[in-house]
Formats: sequence, structure tokens, C-alpha cells
Amino acid sequence: MRNLLNFLERYNNLIIFLVLEGITFWLLSTGNDYHNTRVVKTTRGITYYLEQKFNNTRSYFYLKEINNKLASENVALNNKLDRFMRSDDSLFFSVSDTLFDQRYIYSSARVVNNSINRQKNFFTIDKGSSHGLDVDMAVMADDGVAGILVGCARNFSVGMSVLNLDFRLSARIKSNGYFGSLTWEGNDYRHAVLSEIPQHVTFGIGDTIETTGFSAIFPEGLMIGTISDFEKSGGDFYKITVLLKTDFKKLYFVDVIANLSKKEQLELETRFQ
Amino acid sequence: MINAIIKYSLLFILLILLQILLFNNIQFSGYVNPYVYIMFILLLPFETPSWLLLFLSFLTGFIVDLFTGTPGMHSSATVLAGFVRPFVLRITSPRDGYEAGSYPSMMLYGFKWFIIYTLTVVFIHHTALFFIEVFRLTGFLTTLLRIFLSSLFTVTFILLLEFIRKVR
Repeated sequence: MRNLLNFLERYNNLIIFLVLEGITFWLLSTGNDYHNTRVVKTTRGITYYLEQKFNNTRSYFYLKEINNKLASENVALNNKLDRFMRSDDSLFFSVSDTLFDQRYIYSSARVVNNSINRQKNFFTIDKGSSHGLDVDMAVMADDGVAGILVGCARNFSVGMSVLNLDFRLSARIKSNGYFGSLTWEGNDYRHAVLSEIPQHVTFGIGDTIETTGFSAIFPEGLMIGTISDFEKSGGDFYKITVLLKTDFKKLYFVDVIANLSKKEQLELETRFQ
Repeated sequence: MINAIIKYSLLFILLILLQILLFNNIQFSGYVNPYVYIMFILLLPFETPSWLLLFLSFLTGFIVDLFTGTPGMHSSATVLAGFVRPFVLRITSPRDGYEAGSYPSMMLYGFKWFIIYTLTVVFIHHTALFFIEVFRLTGFLTTLLRIFLSSLFTVTFILLLEFIRKVR
């Protein structure tokens, strides 16, 4: 108590000064519209800033949930989109099933096991035959081709990654439409090789390589990667090094694509072979 | 004592009237707004207790605020001026100190001392006042120019009034 009194006596001027300034400030902010606005604006700015910081931190905890939601939303949209994308040739289809002329259906999955450092790399995803998956379905990461399903259990499926010596994929140069065969050489997980492109074809470094859709597994026009280098190999062909769009080292969310008319196409094709 | 109170009351009324009727209507291109009422705070006796000084400052500013319709603006700046006055007096004090029972005047302590003392307090007062008026830091240099010019004019008018007092 004595200390308090001492304190008050010692600093009474400062205290009176601060109290009076407080009163003037109160008068200032309540009596003048302009000052009032500025004060409110400033305090709001500060609270808004803090709120934003808190929000940013908080949103990290929801990222996983949001990712799941976005993935399923993507699948739903892809399912719808496929119907509209090919409406131009719908005249040649007989409308006989409930899915109208939908050719591909998409389903999202998560990679639960993956390797990139072997000669024959496979990955495992967390959906299987109980979710409608089957072998020879295409797997794409959100930005490019990832592989093909080769085995399905009830709740898991194993896919052959592009990074596998046995992997073959029909691919073409987007700018001019020449197609060749895409393989992996077994050394660099970022690059694959496109061969069987004849030497009279002109293309440039950075050109897009996409799927052709010939195999009845992958839809047409999916991005595979870009040309990073090319050289003339034996014969009349180029050996084109392709920088893969999919980074297999961070493969996590993938979409499985099923071709609904694959059976029809293959049956027709086998009659002429 | 009573004499002093009457004298200062008259000075107070005179300065407030001068400020409201005359100086508030001076506006050279928006840059020069002399606030001469601060002279009342400047001329209070040396022995004025600090709390009284602060309350009188508040009162002065508050009344000017009432007449100019800017609640809080002048009171804030004037309370600051009242708060710093003792420090300024201590810093600018002449070698043999201030005479007991006297007040800051040009006659007693000389032209040079008076102008330094006035300029310091007026400048602090005007800095606070003009920054509270604009209440932001954009246009900082413009505000600074206003502060300098207005301080100059305020000090000039205070010197004139002081000369008139001296003549009488």
C-alpha cells in the first residue's frame, strides 16, 4: 500500500497526463466522424490481420479433409465432363444404356505403396474389386499418366507404373499427331523414351506428348510429359527423351479410369486379326 | 494571489477571443493556421503545480475545441504542451535559475531565451495538433510543412503580443 502511494506520488503528473490524454482521445474518436472512422478502420485492420493469421494456421489442419473432398469432386466432374466432351459424335451411338454414351468413368484412389528405384516398379492403391476396379484400367495422377492396373484384390489394387521395363504405351506428339511407343529405360525416374517417330517429322524441345487412346485403356489426349531431348537412333527413327509430367516421387492422389466400351472395341478388333 | 488569478483569467479570455474571432479565420493557402491561445500555457507562473498546469491545459484546449467543433483535437495537443512545459523550462533555464514568484516573460529573461522556450513548446504543440488533425502518415511532408509554417506564424504573433504587453 505504501509502495503504491509512493508510486502514485512519484508519477502523479504522468498519470494525470495519461488520463487527460485518454479523455481527449475518447472525445476525438467519438466526436469526430473522420477520426472515428480512422480508429475503427485501424482496429479492424489489426483484428482482421490477426484473424487471418489464425485462420491460416487453422486451415492446415483441414488440408487432408479438403484434399479428399476435392479429389472426389474432381471425379464427379470428370464423370460429367466425359459425356459432354464427346457429344459431337454421339450420332453414331445407339442410346441403349442408362449411362447414355459415356465411355470412361473415373474413380479416385490413394497410393498406399510405391517404388521408383527398381527396374520394375509397381504401386499399390487403396481400392480394389469391391470398388469396381479391374485389371487393365488406366491410372492417372492429377497431372499426367501414372500406370495401368495389373492386379486387383478386394480392397487393394496393384498398378504397373510407367517406371517399369515392361510398360508400353502408345503416345503421340500433340503438335503434329505422329505417334510412337513410350517406354522406360530403367535409370531416371523423371524421364521416359518415345521411339518410332520417323526422322522427317519436325518437333521442338518442350512439345507436349499425350496418349493416343489406341490401346482402349487410356483415353485420348491425356498429358504424359514434354520433350526434353532427342537424338537420331539407328534406322530412320528418333529417340526422344520425354520429361514425365507425373512426379512419381510424390504420387499420392490418383484417378482410375475405366473404359466402358473396351470390351466392345476389343471384340470387334479380334475379328480382323 | 487573487490579483494573479484575475490577471490570468483576463489573459485567458482575451487569448481565447483572439483565437476564435481572429486567428481561426487566418488561412494562407491552407498551410498557415496560427494557434496563439497556447500563449496562456506559456505564460503561467513557474510555481504552477504540474497537476494544475495539466488541468488548465485541458480546459484551454477543450474550450477552443468547443468553438472550432473538433472535440479532443486541441485538448490533446494542449495537454501534451502542458506536460512538456516543465521539462522545456528545466532544459532552457538560464545560468542563475528562475526568480521565485515570477513568470516566463521576455522582459525578465531576455529575447533569446523567450524565443527558444516559445518555439520549443509551440513546435511540440503544433506537431501533435496537426498530426492528430490528419490522423495518418500519408502526406507526411505536407503535414510537416504545415507544422513548420504555422509554428513560425504562431511564434511571431506571440512575440508581437509580448511586445505589446512590454510597451504597456
